[in-house]
Amino acid sequence: MDKMMKMKKKSLPFDENVRRLFVILVVLLLVTGITKSTAFVNLGNFQSIGKQLTEYGLMSLGMGICMISGGIDLSTVYVANLSGICAGLIFQSSNTGAGVLAGCVVAILVGALCGAFNGMLISCFHIPPMLATLGSYELFMGISVVLSGGSTVSVNGEIELLSSLAILNIPLPFIIFLICTAVLAVIMGRTKFGSRTYLVGTSEKAARFAGIHVKATIIKCYLISGMLAGIAGLISLSRLNSAKADFGTSYTMQTILVAVLGGINPNGGAGKIPGIAFSVIILQVLSSYLNQFPAISNYYRDLIWGAALLLVLVFNVEISRRAAKKKA
Amino acid sequence: MNKKVKSMVKQTEFYVLCIIIAFAVIIQIRSGQFLTSNNLMDLVRSMIVPGIYAICALLSFVSTGADVSFPLIAALSAYVSVVLGNKWNLGVVPIFLIAILLGCLIGCINGFFIVKYRFNSLIVTLGTSSICSGILFGTFEAGRTELPEKLYTVSKVNIATVKNSATGLGSALPSTFVIMVALYVIAYLVLNYTMIGRSVYALGGDEVSAQRAGIAVEKVRFGVFVVNGGIAAIAGLCYAMMSYFYMPNEYAGAEMLVIAAVILGGTRMTGGVGTLRGCLLGTFLLTMVSNSLILFGISVYWEKVVIGAIIIVGTAISAIQARNAGNPFAGKKKKEA
Amino acid sequence: MAENMLCVKNIKKSFGGVHALKGVDLTIKKGETHCLAGENGCGKSTIIKVISGFYQPDEGTIEIDGKSYENLTTSDAIAAGIQVIYQDFSIFPNLTVMENLAFNQVLAEKKKFVNKKEFRKIAEEAVKKINFDVDLDARVESLPVADKQLIAISRALLHNAKLIIMDEPTTALTRKEVTRLFDIIAELKKEGMTVLFVSHKLDEVFEISDSITVLRSGENVHSCPIHEMTEEKFTYYMTGRNFDAIPQKEVPDFEGKEPMLKVQDLSAPGFENVSFELHGGEVLGIAGQLGSGRTELSLALYGMLKPYGGTIWIDGSEVKLNSVADAQKMGIALVPEDRLTEGLFLPQPIYKNIAVASMDSLAGKGGFLKESSELELSQGWVEDIGVATKDHTLPVMTLSGGNQQKVVLARCLATNPKVLILNGPTVGVDIGAKYDIHQLLRSLAGQGMAILVVSDDVAEVAALCDRAIIMKGGRVAGELDGADLNDENLYGATV
Repeated sequence: MDKMMKMKKKSLPFDENVRRLFVILVVLLLVTGITKSTAFVNLGNFQSIGKQLTEYGLMSLGMGICMISGGIDLSTVYVANLSGICAGLIFQSSNTGAGVLAGCVVAILVGALCGAFNGMLISCFHIPPMLATLGSYELFMGISVVLSGGSTVSVNGEIELLSSLAILNIPLPFIIFLICTAVLAVIMGRTKFGSRTYLVGTSEKAARFAGIHVKATIIKCYLISGMLAGIAGLISLSRLNSAKADFGTSYTMQTILVAVLGGINPNGGAGKIPGIAFSVIILQVLSSYLNQFPAISNYYRDLIWGAALLLVLVFNVEISRRAAKKKA
Repeated sequence: MNKKVKSMVKQTEFYVLCIIIAFAVIIQIRSGQFLTSNNLMDLVRSMIVPGIYAICALLSFVSTGADVSFPLIAALSAYVSVVLGNKWNLGVVPIFLIAILLGCLIGCINGFFIVKYRFNSLIVTLGTSSICSGILFGTFEAGRTELPEKLYTVSKVNIATVKNSATGLGSALPSTFVIMVALYVIAYLVLNYTMIGRSVYALGGDEVSAQRAGIAVEKVRFGVFVVNGGIAAIAGLCYAMMSYFYMPNEYAGAEMLVIAAVILGGTRMTGGVGTLRGCLLGTFLLTMVSNSLILFGISVYWEKVVIGAIIIVGTAISAIQARNAGNPFAGKKKKEA
Repeated sequence: MAENMLCVKNIKKSFGGVHALKGVDLTIKKGETHCLAGENGCGKSTIIKVISGFYQPDEGTIEIDGKSYENLTTSDAIAAGIQVIYQDFSIFPNLTVMENLAFNQVLAEKKKFVNKKEFRKIAEEAVKKINFDVDLDARVESLPVADKQLIAISRALLHNAKLIIMDEPTTALTRKEVTRLFDIIAELKKEGMTVLFVSHKLDEVFEISDSITVLRSGENVHSCPIHEMTEEKFTYYMTGRNFDAIPQKEVPDFEGKEPMLKVQDLSAPGFENVSFELHGGEVLGIAGQLGSGRTELSLALYGMLKPYGGTIWIDGSEVKLNSVADAQKMGIALVPEDRLTEGLFLPQPIYKNIAVASMDSLAGKGGFLKESSELELSQGWVEDIGVATKDHTLPVMTLSGGNQQKVVLARCLATNPKVLILNGPTVGVDIGAKYDIHQLLRSLAGQGMAILVVSDDVAEVAALCDRAIIMKGGRVAGELDGADLNDENLYGATV
């Protein structure tokens, strides 16, 4: 019997999907650069792109991880808001350096708590993720309303630096986004936890029989998503100098779009983190590009993204069909 | 008789009914205002649009999965029909027909991607919802619009009014209530007394068996999403009628509570199970909670917290029940060899 | 009047280059019960789908009850009296019994409206035919598997069936339910019904059929009346190989040695007061039918089912198995009953499936896991166990049943277990792979592993195990070893 085995080279976290996205990004940058070079290709514009994509980019990473585990996190925006409000309230009461630090820690902690709560609803009570995060988002929004008294929480002060600072001309938020992407790519691609998440997303039952702590894995996924939302909330607070309970309701849909566009299979068990990052950048570049055409109002974005989602899904299916035909 | 009582008690709807009664009693005791005619009429009035949406959610869950596009289909269809109604001075029936037609067309988009490519219905309907939003606000730049004259007249028609002599508060039941009732009656008859209706349930129960039995699975599923589009369009117009103006920003976001209501009412996310009665009960429960918190003595600020808690507790119970139903080893001993 | 109910000749069918049927003949006499046997992938399901009109053959002739059919459609087949009862019964779990029985007929009659009275009449007529007493208003999902099958049969009989095809009907039935099914088949036979029965279970084949046709790789191997068939011939026809009987094992002597696994008065939902000892190097069988508690016992020993009474010792120390992780730490591995949903991650690569339980030991500091270490581990096991694949980065679902089972085995063995529990180790596995697995298990025992084989296949238990414990109704009903451990005794004890 032929015992020759194909030894796979150490695989980068780049699969076909991700490579495709990378190509699209390059093409897009070229097109935008050429057609609107003066207005588009300047530092200020790229900086603004980098800044604006961070918040929903972080949430998309979280959404992606939850999807890989076989679930979904509809509450991510509201966790971000709640974290922002909590941090904002702390900043309001104390403007010292320690206060700022405390606020940041609280934001991430709140995010983590909310995430863990979601994780427990899903793994311990066996509530389907869509419903669990639907209920929890109402809950988080409600708590936000109560804490903020129904109005906007405004802040001033050092926290603004978080969004306005730039290192080597790269906006800090974007650096944070890149760091998070890199860390998550490593976690999901090269650790036991990441491997287990993919397996849980493929088949929870088989994972249980294989000895994987399914509950712990799921809780960790939603915890990470919550923390990312917390950071996003903090950045949003910094950028807008305020936080409120119902900010960014359309972001939920956007993060799902981004994750799916980035190659994450909504049924679980497949998709790579860098894909999400590329997908976010593509969408923000596209969005910024469209801003150059005053005739195309912001609202068109929704139309384009909705259409893009459906088209990309179809495109992916057609490509795999063609690949399967070639093999046969 | 005993068997029927036993099976009734096991159903989720029974629990929801109990909770509704419990809430009603508590609210009544606390405020004395619950069982007043004007409050009850307000409740029913608030239920009309979510109730119609609930039919969409039921149909999609039973046959396929989640559908989150109905509020925006409603918004877009209603807008186009209102604008055209104003332009050509149309009567009520033509306006509704235009809306329904457009709703069905958008439903075709949903149906196409879900049936031909077998994509997850949540994702596809998210995409469609997004597209509708883009067309509504981007292409059409929709804003607050006055209703066409004839439609406005009908919207002002109330089939019943009550006035609470004690508090002086009044309430009215608009003509749109008739539309909701009509839709439910039609839905009931079709789902229970026609083969197409039963095919929707059959397909949701086991798609392969449905195919083998000879059901045109793809056509039925496609039809469900087309019909959903039409129903959503009707809801959209009703909403505009009840507000006496068309306001595009009011539509988005309704899907989550409707889905929660339908699930609380016993519809299974996995498909095949769900009743109209359950939809009404679930919708009533959530509407009651949002409307009556004040009567409960709870500040409006806590509304979302309470609703979120109810959804979480309700779905947890339903999830635990489902697990026990499907798992014969859960705590039981199997005796025969 | 034709003598044959069904006569198909030279049926060829290919799917995109794969020749599923290479010229198959099948002749079934009227009123006989004919068995169709063959390993997985031999073409059994394909020929059934051709007979029922679901597939159109590329070549060949079909004759049903003397009438020739050029392009047989499913409606033609149904009209000709052919009814197929699939393994999953084709029922609607969310609908009532009544609706399940009447639905297909009303649909076929192209009726648009639902008349509840009519449904009930049809349903009552159906269950009367086999004297099936069932609550017509019950939701089918709440009924036991055997009832679901009877619903499928009743429904099949509604359509003036002349030939009933049953695809592996006894897979999910208890012994009692199988007897009931066979009684019904006998009744149907008396009324002149022709039955085509797909099965690989030797004892059932011999019990119920009048004649048998064996297929292999899309071709006929042999057809004959059942009295001309023997077990050796059957095995030979199915696989094309002659198997030397596994050398008669000497019953090992464990006097004075500490058992690797000891169970005392263990009770959990599904079984009560089970006690036994298992030594390293011993192959112990737990024989029992569906519902005997054997599966629950295996789950309890793997930490998946919490016992409410009794004790477990591993290698001399008492242990509490509250989770699968606990069991794995103690050196226990389980090959689960249903490999497709419990044992494998079908879309994931083979090497990931093999490495999944070893991640902790493969991972470095901080939980970092190198893919190369997974690949290396997998390659080793694929070679050792003999998984037939050239590329272990392919999804495991591309493998045949037997090879998939070997993957599950590899994953368990990769954890270096002291106790290996297997539940139904060769279900749905071809005879060739079955033999390989049995060989492997005996050699593992020879190296000192303690092996527990939980199975409802008495032949397997008799051939493989040194000793067997019989479970019935949740309790230990007896023990057999040495010369007493044979098919007949086991069969008699488990029923």
